[in-house]
Amino acid sequence: MGNASDTKEEKVLRRALILIIAVGIGLVMPHVLSPFYLMILSEALIMSIFALSFNLLFGYMGQLSFGQAAFYGLGGYAVAMLITKAHFNFWLSLLAGVLVAAIAGLIVGYFCVRLRGIYFAILTLAFGQLLFVIVYKWHDFTGGDDGIQGVFPPGILTSPKVYYYLIFLAFLGTTYLLWRIVNSPFGYVLKAMRDNPERTEFLGINISRYQLFAFVISAALSGLAGALWAPFYRSVAPFYLMWVKSGEPVMATILGGANTFLGPVVGTFVMTFVHAYVLGFTYFWPVIMGCFILLVIFFLPGGILGFALEKFSTSGRENSGYGRGRQGSSGDKKSD
Amino acid sequence: MGEEDRVLLETRNLTKDFGKLRAVNSVNLTVKKGDIHAIIGPNGAGKTTFFNLVTGYHAPTGGQVIFKGRDITRFPPHRRCKVGITRSFQITSIFPQLTVYEGVLVGLLCSKGLSLDFLSKAMKFFEREVWEILQAVGLTEHARLQGASLSHGDKKRWELAITLATRPELLLLDEPTCGMSPEETESTMILIRKLAEERGLTILFTEHDMSVVFGIAKRITVFHMGCVIADGDPQSVRASEDVQRVYLGGVA
Repeated sequence: MGNASDTKEEKVLRRALILIIAVGIGLVMPHVLSPFYLMILSEALIMSIFALSFNLLFGYMGQLSFGQAAFYGLGGYAVAMLITKAHFNFWLSLLAGVLVAAIAGLIVGYFCVRLRGIYFAILTLAFGQLLFVIVYKWHDFTGGDDGIQGVFPPGILTSPKVYYYLIFLAFLGTTYLLWRIVNSPFGYVLKAMRDNPERTEFLGINISRYQLFAFVISAALSGLAGALWAPFYRSVAPFYLMWVKSGEPVMATILGGANTFLGPVVGTFVMTFVHAYVLGFTYFWPVIMGCFILLVIFFLPGGILGFALEKFSTSGRENSGYGRGRQGSSGDKKSD
Repeated sequence: MGEEDRVLLETRNLTKDFGKLRAVNSVNLTVKKGDIHAIIGPNGAGKTTFFNLVTGYHAPTGGQVIFKGRDITRFPPHRRCKVGITRSFQITSIFPQLTVYEGVLVGLLCSKGLSLDFLSKAMKFFEREVWEILQAVGLTEHARLQGASLSHGDKKRWELAITLATRPELLLLDEPTCGMSPEETESTMILIRKLAEERGLTILFTEHDMSVVFGIAKRITVFHMGCVIADGDPQSVRASEDVQRVYLGGVA
């Protein structure tokens, strides 16, 4: 931060260059990767959308949602049911998946945003499990533990290569949208709430209302991730809504770095690819993953990307090692 | 009639109980427009609790808060901010991960009704205004520092800057010089007076250091055990026997 020698133009230029390279790599991948690894890459991109939407709440608003999979799963189920049962148009089904997740987010969020810290986390977990149980038990409507099979995308989208491009486009779109949001006035209000909700209320901000907006945006984008996944995997199952699934974006975000915008993406890629690789020779994936997380928490406290930025970057301050910045945010509960 | 017009804030029989403790006992207080009004009293006199009632941090047990002739007793803090009341905190309460610049910017974005803009770039707004406020409080050199890395005195000044950014009519400062060195205290007091004059603010502040108060306040209210025991200009308060007894003189 000290050396402002990076002029604005250089910064913009460097960003543009990185972006062009990243998009270029993304575009050629289907012609380079084996079908298996193309599938893994598609999965990583979808899970990145999921993790990025989660981190809007976690890294930028300072609230840990542990029921995020409910919105992911509902998005997937909405698409699966509309396509298989109602033979609905694919694109409208995707849109419906996002809408269903957003509406669920509005209802769940209405109750959750009144709480903070661990209470918020537990309530989101409870709502998530509630929705999971409904999907799991309501056999006649959702197919229960059988899930729904035969969710085919239309026409050329049945080709994994073509579908990959759809996912890639959605990933770029979501990333851009979230980037705009976290740098907007609304995004700054979120960051202020994360740092100190009491103080922010005295800026004239209705905390619950703003947290609800962010919650609905996050739920809708999680729903988009689920909605893209179902036709890609040709099926949905109730465990997509389960708390274990909710843990994935949490782990990916911590792994990559919650205080960096792209940390969740880095974490998701590491998790997804290591997972695919490790499964080649052992079933003890959770053990390996556990060790991995431990190592990162102890040796790279800001996450992989957070650590890398701090080490190698001359600018950038989001990556400072202040952890979650909870210190000094207690307001003045003690009077006089 | 003129007298009535000048009243900005009025409390009527304002009372707050914490369990069996009556922290604020039926306080009637008027703050006139343009005044620098101090509330003094020993620790535990109920000053901060009174502040919390005026800003909506606590709900009163009884009584009313009237601002510009409007009953705001039931308003939550964010609505009070919207009508023109803002406050600083005694225990410095800031944004550890935002930079000094960003903190002031957030205050301006909120006060100018842009906080629901989801897509514009926040940094392009109010550049001139942010620098102006930072200059007023003397923080321009620290604009790019994060809140957590500021010194105590700078945090207090940043707090003041954020508070100014919300463009209040009535500014409540809770022990603005708490924890400062004598030099810092003096410069802060000069700053507050300057800001009040330049921006036409009305300021209500609490303080337990008497020397600070007499130098700046136009009107002083003395709290003791939750009650007002004296109210008036500095000379008359200094002359009051009750005040001498509980505050200036020592043990009753």
